Amino acid sequence: MELINLNTVLFAGKWLLIGLVYLILIIIVITVRREMAYRTRGQERPVTVAAGRLKVINAGSDTRIQPGKFLPLKPETRLGAETDNDLILSDQYISKHHARLHWDGAVWWVEDLGSSNGTTVDGHICRPRNPQPIKGGASLQLGDMVFELMV
Amino acid sequence: MNIRVQPTPRFTEAFLLVLVFLTAVLGFVLLAIGMQVRQGENPWSGLLSALLPPLVIGVSTMSLHILMRNRGMRVEQLILPVAALLFTTGLLMIWRLQGPSGVWQQLLRGYLPGMAVIAVLIVRPRWVERIRRWAIPICLVGLLLLVTTAFLGMIDETGARLALKLGSLPAIQPSEIIKLSLVIFLAWYIDREGKEAEGRARPFLGWLRLPPIHYFLPGALFTALATLALVKMSDFGAVLILAFIFAGMLFSGFETRIFLTISAIGLTLILIVSLILSFTWEVPTVIRYRFLAFQNPWSKEVIMLKGQTTGVTVSEGPGYQIQQSIDAIVSGGLSGAGLGFGTPQYVPLAQSDFIFAAIIEELGSIIGVAVLILFAILLLRIARVALLLPSEQVFERLLVIGICIHFFVQVFIMVGGTLNVLPVTGVTIPFLSQGGMALLVNLTEIGLVLSLSQRVEVQAG
Repeated sequence: MELINLNTVLFAGKWLLIGLVYLILIIIVITVRREMAYRTRGQERPVTVAAGRLKVINAGSDTRIQPGKFLPLKPETRLGAETDNDLILSDQYISKHHARLHWDGAVWWVEDLGSSNGTTVDGHICRPRNPQPIKGGASLQLGDMVFELMV
Repeated sequence: MNIRVQPTPRFTEAFLLVLVFLTAVLGFVLLAIGMQVRQGENPWSGLLSALLPPLVIGVSTMSLHILMRNRGMRVEQLILPVAALLFTTGLLMIWRLQGPSGVWQQLLRGYLPGMAVIAVLIVRPRWVERIRRWAIPICLVGLLLLVTTAFLGMIDETGARLALKLGSLPAIQPSEIIKLSLVIFLAWYIDREGKEAEGRARPFLGWLRLPPIHYFLPGALFTALATLALVKMSDFGAVLILAFIFAGMLFSGFETRIFLTISAIGLTLILIVSLILSFTWEVPTVIRYRFLAFQNPWSKEVIMLKGQTTGVTVSEGPGYQIQQSIDAIVSGGLSGAGLGFGTPQYVPLAQSDFIFAAIIEELGSIIGVAVLILFAILLLRIARVALLLPSEQVFERLLVIGICIHFFVQVFIMVGGTLNVLPVTGVTIPFLSQGGMALLVNLTEIGLVLSLSQRVEVQAG
């Protein structure tokens, strides 16, 4: 009697194991299908490609961004107060078109776009319209706002 | 642009990881009961120690999941659960064949260090950049280790030098490292010189185009050196894998016309070399008899060694493994003999090279098919990461594609060998087979892919 019970348990366990593995497979297939459905219907939530991100150290007077948050960067990111920028910053010392960050595949470059209050990298002031390389981990200051570049 | 970077929920991944954990628990419990019943002992006595490996898997994968969640990674929720499930399946069979000591060796030497490497690569994505900058030293170290092993490595029972032992450290297998080294090297080199080589390509025999030949020297030299060392070690499986990686990465790195030209030249060269070799060089007995065993595992031909008969026929030598493997697969049937109730220990090397046969015997071809589907999904997801990466990041894309090719070749060669569709070459199946070094390298590759997937962000909302 005892042995029959055990055999039943083992038999049920075997099929439960098979069922679990196939449940995992089905969930995976559903996930893949859902992602593909976005793509084919043209409803894909926009895929932006970030080669790095900015960690907010000091948000100045911009109330929408809290320190400690990460801002994703596109390979070509324009920062400023105007709404046509990729990253809109609303600190009072940010110019309409303040700076441009550019990823060339290996190195990030920062270019000040002639802002009124300037851009500094690790405390050094960037000359306007003069792209200069910026290393991962460097601190980037635009007006009052301070960021750290994370690669 | 909508700014929203918080810890992102990764529901799919969390749910799948819980299911994988449950599968692991269920599998190990069934296995423990089955093995006790088989030995006629109290079925419930070995349960507690069998619960530890699933716990290790569950805790480590969950901590990786939480790490990725807190870093706000939005893409790629499938790679980690799929790899964890494959590893669990393999670990079940290792417990079955090698007992707890084999499992703990696999966990401590391969799995846990590998998971640590993945965590480091995810937290420090800049390390990929560093790998690119240090590509040459990394590859030279890999090559040096390989050459050292070819001459000074430990000699195992079959007379091959495969492992290198340095002092009291655990032995390492450089033939595993060299595969990743080759991927890194080719990705670095094509990224550096590929554009220029394509620009300087000249018409060659009409439609085909060929860049100046000196662009191919470094890659060919690296591959040739590695191949020579591996031939010296008589590790022909690894040679095959290197050749596949080389061809695959040339195909993905260059225009098709250039690739066709190169492969045509390469094939001609190989043909000429093999014609010369066939007259002067005797094919190593390993290869010849493995091929005979592939054609007919039951062949009664007597094996000759250095012109003398050994008295062993092919069916008793290399064919035996294939016979046992076929036998195991047939006796497994649809749903298998049940964990602990089969006889996979009769297949030589069932815990490493032939683990796929062991899985089918005890878990059935239904799980065997599931394993193949899991591998297919893993490869597709890795390739997807490569395609989503920005097109100017050539090194990163090629690195991911190379990793994908590496996994594909190993699964293809070894599953083919187990089913006697291809001649047997002794390589491991990624994540399934026993072998700490192989697992560590495979997990490192997964870590590189996950680390690079952070550069791809799907914007919510």
